[in-house]
Amino acid sequence: MSVSTNTRVGWASVTPAVLWTLVFFAVPFMAMAVASLYPKGGDGLSLANYTQFFANPAYWRALTNSLEVTAIVTVVSVLLAYPFAWILAFVVPERWQRLALMLAVLPFWTSYVVRSYSWLLVLAEKGVINTTLVNAGLLAEPVQLANTRGAAVIGFVHFFVMLLTLTIYANLKQLSPNYAKAAADLGASPFQSFIHVILPLTLPGIMVGAFLTFVLAIGDYITPQILGGNNELLMPQLIMMQIGRRGDFASASALSIILMAVVTVAYLACAKWLKIERA
Amino acid sequence: MTVRSFTRRLAGASFAALALMGLSCGPASAADLNALVWCDHSDPNLLKPFEDANGIKVNVKEFEGTGAGLAIVEQSQPGDWDVMVIDSIDVRRGVERGLFEPLADDQLPVADLFPEVKMDQFTVVDGKRYGITEKFGYNTIGFNKSKVDAKDMESLAALTDEKYKGRIAIYDYYLPVMGLAAMAIGKKTAELTEADLPAIKDVLLKMKANSKAVTDVVASQTALATGEVDILVGGGEWVTAGIAKENPDLDFSVPKEGAVLWSQSLAMFKDSQNKDMALKFIQYIMSPEGQARLATSSCYWGMPASTKAALTDEQKKTLRFAEQPDFLKRAQGYPAPSEDLDKKMQDVWTEMIQAQ
Amino acid sequence: MRALSTLYAALLYGFIFLPVAVLVLFSFQGTLFPIPPFNGPSLRWYDAVLSDARLTSGLFNSILVAVITSAIATLLGFLSAWGFTRFHLPASALLRGLITLPLTVSYLIIGMGLLIFFNWIGLPKSLIAAGIGHVVINLPLCFAIIYSQMGEHQANIERAARDLGAGELQVLTLITAPMLWPALFASFFLSMTFSWDEFVIAFLLTRFDTTLPVEIWNLLRAGLNPKTNAVGALVFGVSIILAIVFELVAFRKRPA
Repeated sequence: MSVSTNTRVGWASVTPAVLWTLVFFAVPFMAMAVASLYPKGGDGLSLANYTQFFANPAYWRALTNSLEVTAIVTVVSVLLAYPFAWILAFVVPERWQRLALMLAVLPFWTSYVVRSYSWLLVLAEKGVINTTLVNAGLLAEPVQLANTRGAAVIGFVHFFVMLLTLTIYANLKQLSPNYAKAAADLGASPFQSFIHVILPLTLPGIMVGAFLTFVLAIGDYITPQILGGNNELLMPQLIMMQIGRRGDFASASALSIILMAVVTVAYLACAKWLKIERA
Repeated sequence: MTVRSFTRRLAGASFAALALMGLSCGPASAADLNALVWCDHSDPNLLKPFEDANGIKVNVKEFEGTGAGLAIVEQSQPGDWDVMVIDSIDVRRGVERGLFEPLADDQLPVADLFPEVKMDQFTVVDGKRYGITEKFGYNTIGFNKSKVDAKDMESLAALTDEKYKGRIAIYDYYLPVMGLAAMAIGKKTAELTEADLPAIKDVLLKMKANSKAVTDVVASQTALATGEVDILVGGGEWVTAGIAKENPDLDFSVPKEGAVLWSQSLAMFKDSQNKDMALKFIQYIMSPEGQARLATSSCYWGMPASTKAALTDEQKKTLRFAEQPDFLKRAQGYPAPSEDLDKKMQDVWTEMIQAQ
Repeated sequence: MRALSTLYAALLYGFIFLPVAVLVLFSFQGTLFPIPPFNGPSLRWYDAVLSDARLTSGLFNSILVAVITSAIATLLGFLSAWGFTRFHLPASALLRGLITLPLTVSYLIIGMGLLIFFNWIGLPKSLIAAGIGHVVINLPLCFAIIYSQMGEHQANIERAARDLGAGELQVLTLITAPMLWPALFASFFLSMTFSWDEFVIAFLLTRFDTTLPVEIWNLLRAGLNPKTNAVGALVFGVSIILAIVFELVAFRKRPA
């Protein structure tokens, strides 16, 4: 490590980024925290926006709905992505792997708003799946797929399977094949070697991917709004409703802070896997 | 190179980048007309002729619900906005906040309006007109007549009837649908109080139990048009008329209990920097051509407030022009809750959505 | 085992491609509803998209915001990564933590905070406001990527350059940046991707001039028709072209 005696150059180069983050991230966050304590139409400092959240089951449910949906999405995405990443890393011949990965990422180059909307077209009562199944005689009449929690989960899983496949693939590729060989030499069955050797070694990759999935999914407004049919509300929908319907920024701030607290807990739970390593 | 000149260059570069952003995306020019509107006003077919005739750009910002609209105004600088579309019954709320400019009756075709939708009790305050009704219609029962028994649609009771379980969508706007729910149990929309909310909530929960989804304007149209649902609670000409060509089976009824009359007005901001142009815009919208284009806007159709709107006979038939006197007689206005009741109504609405 | 793998991969590819295939197919729909039966092909919706001034200006705005904010985020990320690696700064770990913190926060919350903050200081809603938000979300990413690529061998070369009389700015622009250019390019490109597709911050912080995702959202709310499919398919096409360019530029084999 080279150390210049001239630390002023060092300060000059880090200050813009630090200032930017302070002014446009830390300060706004504090502004939001303060705003949440001054309820709309109230007279002064009050915790009303928070007590309302915990007292009103309709609000409270938004959080439990969010946690349920996000948990389902994270687990399903990991379970689907792991074997897929495995196949890409070990079954697909080396020279085709880049192409295979590119293909897996390709559909995500559509706009994200449009992607949710396309799922609506696929899942609608008169959409592609129902029409195909009914025409093929597999269904007597269309079933409701769109406008359900399931539809929102499918929309989420679609995106996160891709994301997790990438992170897990990168992790698997870093494993030395010698680990598995060594385990086999010591008499482990392929299953044992997977459970006791490969899986623990890829756990950090899985956790990073799972955490990203959690953060991105729990804060997303578009997917549940387009696909969920408003049959239930998740936290981001409740937050946007405060703004869109009532212009109640204080209440929206309080709900954002609560959401932030939940994400922080998740972060602390995963913190040990989330270090940025330097080459 | 010295540290200071290094830092200065760095600052210079960041500043240049910001300035570039400023240049290319500066605020709307003062010559533009800034309008706070509902989605039917965003239709280029409506705006383009006015823009071309006056050599001006109309910037539109859409909002949902008076509360949100007023919040947008409160967060803007005075003079940011020139005109606003607002529920006729809420014009007073803007006047109370000192936002609106009086409009001169002799410069507007007030005499051409359907008398029932002039709504002077709401749009005229202390003898001065602050809003002029531009479009109206009904939140009632929209349905697909090939799929439901049209006779059932003559009563709001059908909406909570087991017979239509799983075939209903609810329009996601609390005011009109709660108004309908109130009418279903014989209450007047103009007289709602907090004491009525539990009974209204019961009706809403029954509707929800029957429904497949709670849908916004577009999702409502889609659900009805594609056969996803057969009935839309809160539907009306605004959801069926625009897609009548694609699906002629879509219709609406005004049941025996009545329907909720929606009515939107145009108002001018007191702090507008461009009042002449704002007035011209209002005059354009109220002209026979403007009225026809607004009535058949791509976002949603509705009845023009002016009897002179230049609509074709076919468009008039789709909007059921001839039946208006009877509809208007039986319709009731939107509920006009106080701020406090408004919040409680929205909470009931949230509970309805969250109910499983 | 191999057959099972092939089947699984095929199913997953099917799942991943299904909505895009449907999207593109029904962008050529002849009638008002993008659902079966397909009765195209027709180009009427593409025509409608290209003659829609709001969508084309949204497209332009999106490109502008993506390019400028990614440039700023990459520049700030690069400078700070360099500063933290090459100099011993007090509270370095804390400051690095601060810079990466926004990575762990939902966009919605960042957008809400900026909305309240800008409202307080009187900065009107605009593309600039949204652009500031995009730098906030992309700066940590750029920093993390570039910081992870800063190694010892580059420091040695920098030292050699200094010994030969180069000033700090010369070292930075002529030595460090070229050596790190794959990381810089990757940061810039990833930032572009995130900014290009970002919805909620732009939705909360812009007024009239806005980005493409927000215009698409407005379009969705203004009436269901295959126009949305056509925009989506166009964005898809443009993105694929960009991805190919990226592939060619970033990963072509360079002579050793």
